[in-house]
Amino acid sequence: MTGTPDRKIRPLNLSARAAGPEMPAYPEPVLGNPAATLMDSGVGNCFPGLEFDLRQLDVRFFPGLVFSFPGVTPAGPDGTQGAQLVYADTTGDPVFAEDYPWVADLALALGGPAGDALSDGQWYLHAVEQKGRRIELYDISVWQNALLYTPYEGEIAWWIIRLIERDPDPALADLTIELTQRDAQGQPTGQPVTLRGKRRAYLDDEGMISGVYHPGELTASMCSPWTHDFRDCACQYWASNHPDVVLGEMDDPNDAGSLQAGQEPAPGDPLQPASFLDWMRRRTDPARDVQAQTTIDGARPFRYDPYEINLRWQELDFVLQGQEAKATPAGGTLPDRKPPETPQQVYDDLRLNLAPLEYILALRYLYATFSIRAPEEVTPQEERAWPGLAADLRAARQILLSVAISEMTHLRWVNQMLWSLSAALPGELPGYRPAVGPATDCVDPQHSLALERALPEVIAEFVALERPGGEIDREYEDLVTHLRGNPAYPAGLFQLAVRIDSDGLAHYHKFRDIARILAPYEAQSGLYLRTLTEAPPDAPGMPQALDLLDAAVADLREGYRAEAASAGSNAERSIAEARIIAARDRMHALWETGEALARDGLGIPFFARLPGRAHG
Amino acid sequence: MADGAPPDLRPPGAPRSRQAHLKDGLLLHAESAALYALDPGEAAALDALLGRDEAALARRLGALGLDLAPSPAAPDAAAPPPPRALALTVSQSCNMACGYCYASGGAFGGAARLMPEAVAIAAVDRLIADTAPGGAVQIAFMGGEPWLARDLIRATVAHARRRGGARAVKTGFAMTTNATLLRAEDAAFLAEQGFAVTVSLDGDRETNDRLRPMAGGAGSFDRVARRLAPLLAEAGRLTLSARVTVTPDNLDIPRTVAALADLGFASVGISPMLASPTGRGALAGDDFPRLLAAMTEAGEDWMAATLAGRPHAFANLATALGELHRGRPRSQSCGAVRDYLAVDAEGRYAACHRFVNDPLGQMGDLAAGPDPAARARFLAERQVEAQPDCAGCWARRLCGGGCHHEVLHAGRPGCDYVRGWLDYAIGAYGRLMAARPGWFGDG
Repeated sequence: MTGTPDRKIRPLNLSARAAGPEMPAYPEPVLGNPAATLMDSGVGNCFPGLEFDLRQLDVRFFPGLVFSFPGVTPAGPDGTQGAQLVYADTTGDPVFAEDYPWVADLALALGGPAGDALSDGQWYLHAVEQKGRRIELYDISVWQNALLYTPYEGEIAWWIIRLIERDPDPALADLTIELTQRDAQGQPTGQPVTLRGKRRAYLDDEGMISGVYHPGELTASMCSPWTHDFRDCACQYWASNHPDVVLGEMDDPNDAGSLQAGQEPAPGDPLQPASFLDWMRRRTDPARDVQAQTTIDGARPFRYDPYEINLRWQELDFVLQGQEAKATPAGGTLPDRKPPETPQQVYDDLRLNLAPLEYILALRYLYATFSIRAPEEVTPQEERAWPGLAADLRAARQILLSVAISEMTHLRWVNQMLWSLSAALPGELPGYRPAVGPATDCVDPQHSLALERALPEVIAEFVALERPGGEIDREYEDLVTHLRGNPAYPAGLFQLAVRIDSDGLAHYHKFRDIARILAPYEAQSGLYLRTLTEAPPDAPGMPQALDLLDAAVADLREGYRAEAASAGSNAERSIAEARIIAARDRMHALWETGEALARDGLGIPFFARLPGRAHG
Repeated sequence: MADGAPPDLRPPGAPRSRQAHLKDGLLLHAESAALYALDPGEAAALDALLGRDEAALARRLGALGLDLAPSPAAPDAAAPPPPRALALTVSQSCNMACGYCYASGGAFGGAARLMPEAVAIAAVDRLIADTAPGGAVQIAFMGGEPWLARDLIRATVAHARRRGGARAVKTGFAMTTNATLLRAEDAAFLAEQGFAVTVSLDGDRETNDRLRPMAGGAGSFDRVARRLAPLLAEAGRLTLSARVTVTPDNLDIPRTVAALADLGFASVGISPMLASPTGRGALAGDDFPRLLAAMTEAGEDWMAATLAGRPHAFANLATALGELHRGRPRSQSCGAVRDYLAVDAEGRYAACHRFVNDPLGQMGDLAAGPDPAARARFLAERQVEAQPDCAGCWARRLCGGGCHHEVLHAGRPGCDYVRGWLDYAIGAYGRLMAARPGWFGDG
């Protein structure tokens, strides 16, 4: 009320004094620090399981000793609660490798009379003392004219231990602790053991948790994911790392061969092993293998209730690489496949098979994208009759284009694998030559060059192409198999191959999404498809478009060549950057051009200038 | 009356405006419970508007920086925090037979019985388990007459000390007793455990024996006085006060306070009887002006002593002045249900010790814990903001709407008395603030 005009009124009581605008009056006192300021408000401690149990760090707060922090039993305090000594042992404790006088003194004590005493009977932490402040881990009250010592329960003992500071000077031993035994009533008894030392540093100089903690020790106190309530652990998140969604099991994980051979691998939906299922789904439910729902509310009815998990956790499947498995897959190779056996074969496979494949797929998908109407082309009448059509078109085009772009990324990775191989085995393999587009000396006969509109059957073909266990997947599977078995290859090769292979699964799902999005218009494909036909290469606009494509390919080839050489030259590095940027610009221009032509029903004959494909 | 205006026949403190109240140059801003000293011109101007032109009054208050904006929203009543205090009705029976007792002879209208130890232990365990380490709880032993359950009290205190100690929760103990069964070793126990002991006594020997007969009919005063000696000897180690229930038959409050102070009580609190289960002994109608006069007289005794720097036992005015100084606007008259619950011998929670066995105040049972829905509902229904009777009253944020038990069973017969007492207390606040601001303890 400092601004009260003319001091006509003067605040008297505390409420009036506090009522100034700068000091709002709260009807309730706010006690303590905000929760967010406390260390133990970290998510890992609020939801045990997300990281580890913070408290477990302090079981080894004092070098050479290990404690546990039992609480009060359901029957009430029985005198065993508090900080119990589990054992005293200096072996394996890195602190005792340090060369400070206090460490030597402590080692001497623990190896001598103090250690002898502590090895006999049950001991408890009695008091801690630091900087002249001493805290006994007891509530002390008077009872019938005698002092009654009630040991603090484990949680309180831990709170007190947590407050112990660590002085940055490693030579300074500023912590004294006392241990005592207790009588049957929980009263401290006998001769105390006093030890001088220092609070342990939990992290080493690199910020890693000290090696003194045994595997599993920091998570030992957490609840078990198998017997506990997942749902109530907030956020639907249980970080003991159970999967939310998994791929269903195939009867024989190695049966992908029959899929490839066109045989039905198992009765039922051949795509089922590739549908994402809810891992927590009720196994007894007739709808048990329906696709995982995308919302928690949607998923709940199909899942085990949290209480049921206690009884049914054995029914949950093991998950290997994202796929449920009832058994460890048997070893062995696919019957009709021949993984490459030598670096030369790998090189040839990449250069003559996989690089052309990626290039061809990128352009086939791009052509299909051009065949879908742009959302702006939807007329008001159509939009009234088909609400959501424009949004569906936008989604389908974006997804399809994203797969096409992803294939271009794969093309680059294939080239990276090639130049890594050439660099690693200079005597054995030819020097790197960029592989963008089908090699001039070999038109790959095994990949379809069909440019087709995104008709339902074409999308279905794309789905089949990218299916796990399908054609492309198996092309890379062979490569991955070979690279895995030969660790002498440069480290990045295997990862690149795995990445391309697992991207295929994403492509597969994207094409399934597109099929679902466009399904309502199946009977009237004109609603979503342009009347696109592949134009002759000399039709108006086509030479310019193909020139753009050629220029982009040339830029990419030169860019990749420069990048492969850039390890030794900054000039090559800048060339690589410039040419790849130029290639991108040309691809953007090609997109604009292609869109303009497609609106007129003209599809670019992307493969017309390939050797042996002279348009007739 | 030269201007011919009719004389003001309203009782002191009668409601004029819901926005504010004026007393001896002090302004109470009703909604915030803030108190201001006014310059005389401003006081006269506000007085002219009070109760005559509410809109103009609002503008004038607004010009002073005071508006009728509601105070910051009360905390979400949907989820009241766990209680911090518990009344254990350890003995639902009594060795006395006071006609006005809320417990109807101690048994709350039911069968006389003692609380089983398991119930007391379970209630204490839950209270402590619901309290954060470092916090504090208060456990009150009530009755009936709690000393009929002597062993249970000792066992419960021992258990609470150990359970609270293990969780670093401070345990405080309180007891309301008629003191007739108190033994010397009991006084030592109460002192050792730092109890707050409230002894029920209704006046000097003659008055007390008339109002507080033993169950057999004999007087109780001498017996109490004899029993009190060891307790008074321990006064430094425990908090000891007397509680006087005022009925139409013992309205000489100054005399009562003096008599009990002579007996050795440093603090004497007065509770007017508004709702008695038997209908006997409750104050009504004409009794309230007499009660106000008696309270004011006792208050003046207290003021005289306090201004002279002497102690005085009359606790009501000291409490009222402390509350006025804090000036916390209330939504409830007391902490019942929100901070405080009672537990009966069956292990059922009640809104407070008065609501034991009363269907209006059932709050769940020990097995499931205090019922949050029942508590939230009670608090929402009973808060002063929800009381139409209180909406126009300037004292609503000081009084909080009155004792829940009395209001639910007897309505609000004493509002004029309550306002009169608060009006007097505000005047006393101004005088004490002017003469001895140090009394309030914050300079």
